[in-house]
Amino acid sequence: MFISNPFTLLTEFLSPLVMQVYVVLMIVAVAGGTLFDLYHKRSAEFFALRRKHSEAAAQRRLGAGEIAALAMRTVASEVATSGEFCKWPRRVSHLLMSYGFVIYLAATIVMVFVYATAAHTPLVLTALWNIGALMVLVGGCWFFFFLRVNVAYEGHSPFHLMRADLFIGALLASVACGLIWHFAQTAQSFAGGATATLVLFALYLFFTTLLFVSVPWSKFAHMFYKPVAAFQKRLEEANGSSDLPRPADGSHIGS
Amino acid sequence: MPTYTDMTKCDGCGECVDICPSDIMHIDPVYRRSYNIEPNFCWECYSCVKACPQHAIDVRGYSDFAPLGHKVRVLREKEKGSISWKIRYRDGRVKEFSFPIRTTPWGSIKAPADYAAPDAAGLSSPLLAHEPEALKVAALPMLPAAAK
Repeated sequence: MFISNPFTLLTEFLSPLVMQVYVVLMIVAVAGGTLFDLYHKRSAEFFALRRKHSEAAAQRRLGAGEIAALAMRTVASEVATSGEFCKWPRRVSHLLMSYGFVIYLAATIVMVFVYATAAHTPLVLTALWNIGALMVLVGGCWFFFFLRVNVAYEGHSPFHLMRADLFIGALLASVACGLIWHFAQTAQSFAGGATATLVLFALYLFFTTLLFVSVPWSKFAHMFYKPVAAFQKRLEEANGSSDLPRPADGSHIGS
Repeated sequence: MPTYTDMTKCDGCGECVDICPSDIMHIDPVYRRSYNIEPNFCWECYSCVKACPQHAIDVRGYSDFAPLGHKVRVLREKEKGSISWKIRYRDGRVKEFSFPIRTTPWGSIKAPADYAAPDAAGLSSPLLAHEPEALKVAALPMLPAAAK
């Protein structure tokens, strides 16, 4: 399972060109969905207005170097290490999901565009595809069953689904179906054979399409908004326009 | 003035849901961010405002009698044991206050369940369980009759 390219085996009944067109269509769906989301929810207008208010209330002007340093700190903290989460279980679960998804996505794109018809796919790629999917599955199940705020704090059943679960549900279903389909492809003694493999592939295709096409209704676009909001927060703290109180002068601990 | 959540700042951690004594801070089913489901029932204790680690909760008056424009912002610093308030009035005045909220490190107070269960003899004592040692005093003042 870890050594074969699932998309090479798929070429028996699906041309590599069709797979490549599908990947491009999904990328277009994410870009289009995010742009629609920006327009529909007026998020761009909101951030522009907030930036304008921040500049008007700024107590000092920031230089280009300072702004670049803030951007780098945002990338190092909020983007690369999910620093905005105050509790470590959510942070670890989010990191597993985000890095797993990036690894899984990158490996998928390379395997579909470069190695779909190759006789041999590098072991590192097939391993990364599986490891990425497993990371998403582990982090996602941890979040879905134990850390989701309505489950952990409101006492809802993990199976009480709402629209906010569209993204995590589609993501988990997509990678789970992908892994099971790949396992079915490679298991020699798999009972049910080709029909079951096809059904699993159809499920994988359905949930993957749902994940990428549902951007305007799901929280998929948070991966673009969150860094912008975190950067804006850092800008406001640095230029003095933050509406938060000044930090207290001294510590009262031990007094 | 009841509370409201700025959803662009909220990360859905659930601290406000956990702490709200009125059980009106809930999770939005579309965005999984917190929101005040019934501002009319808000006790205005501001527990959620103080507990929010993302500073995503603010307060506002009812627009029918309080024109908007004011702000009440809170910064809780666990490591300093302090809480600071910044009040912006509708006429533009700004006041800032800072208060101590504790003198022992955050998380250092034992929960009731961490103490051993008291024995039945304690029922005849006027002291509560684990008094006076839990209060870190040698003895509590008592009426002469009770002290016998």
